[in-house]
Amino acid sequence: MKKTKEDPELDDFGRFSEPALLILISLAEEPKHGYSMTEDIESIAGVRLGPGTLYGAIARLESRGLIQALKSEDRRNPYRLTGLGERALRMRLEAMSTIVRTGQRRLAMA
Amino acid sequence: MKWMVQLYPAAWRQRYGEEFTTVLAEQRASPGLILDVLGGAVDARLHPQVRGEKKNSKGDETMTNEMMQRCAAGGPKLSKEDQKIASMAVVFSSLFFTILYLVLTKIYHAKPAVEALGYASFPAIWMVYEQTAYLRKRKISTQAVISLGIMGAMYLFMLGACEIAARL
Repeated sequence: MKKTKEDPELDDFGRFSEPALLILISLAEEPKHGYSMTEDIESIAGVRLGPGTLYGAIARLESRGLIQALKSEDRRNPYRLTGLGERALRMRLEAMSTIVRTGQRRLAMA
Repeated sequence: MKWMVQLYPAAWRQRYGEEFTTVLAEQRASPGLILDVLGGAVDARLHPQVRGEKKNSKGDETMTNEMMQRCAAGGPKLSKEDQKIASMAVVFSSLFFTILYLVLTKIYHAKPAVEALGYASFPAIWMVYEQTAYLRKRKISTQAVISLGIMGAMYLFMLGACEIAARL
């Protein structure tokens, strides 16, 4: 996938870049609210995000248009992945898989 | 634990407060959770993401900016009454830390934790001055995060230095 200037980056999220990536992965399945994301992320990555970290990352993702809050009558707003968020996630995963492939190839040669 | 949401900026609370407290209520209280929420509150104040929050780069939100503006204007804009209160706070906090240091030295002698208190007293007294001179009109939560956070960090830093020095 070719990178353009308008493409969103998770790099400027600082310490929130990894939690943000995990949130995007979690929302790629279906819209979820905060607590469901925490549970899902714990099951897929083995890390439990605290509410401070979770909402620090959610606020960044929402302000950049990568996720969107859905209206709910419940106190817990669900969030969904936007088109921009999906693109950011695909690009990040692609970059990561390139790194993984390179690492595995070099390990095989060692 | 729900009170901790008050540490976040008002605009942030308006946007995420309700769902944040719901998620917080579903967590088991632990030192790690408290640190996570405190870290999130500091981040929300330093890097506002919600519209309506003031951006630091725009001007006078940070204590440093405020201090610089006041220094450039020839010092803090304090009334005589404010100056009197700040001076009294410095005198009494100096006395308090001196007596506390002497009492702890008498009981525990020159242990690193006591020595660290002695070294951290000076910046702590400075923080008391900051608190009374610059932060008085701020919200209690802001005062608590800035003052206790810096004092705690100073003490831990000094404690680390004293522990290392004791092992040399």
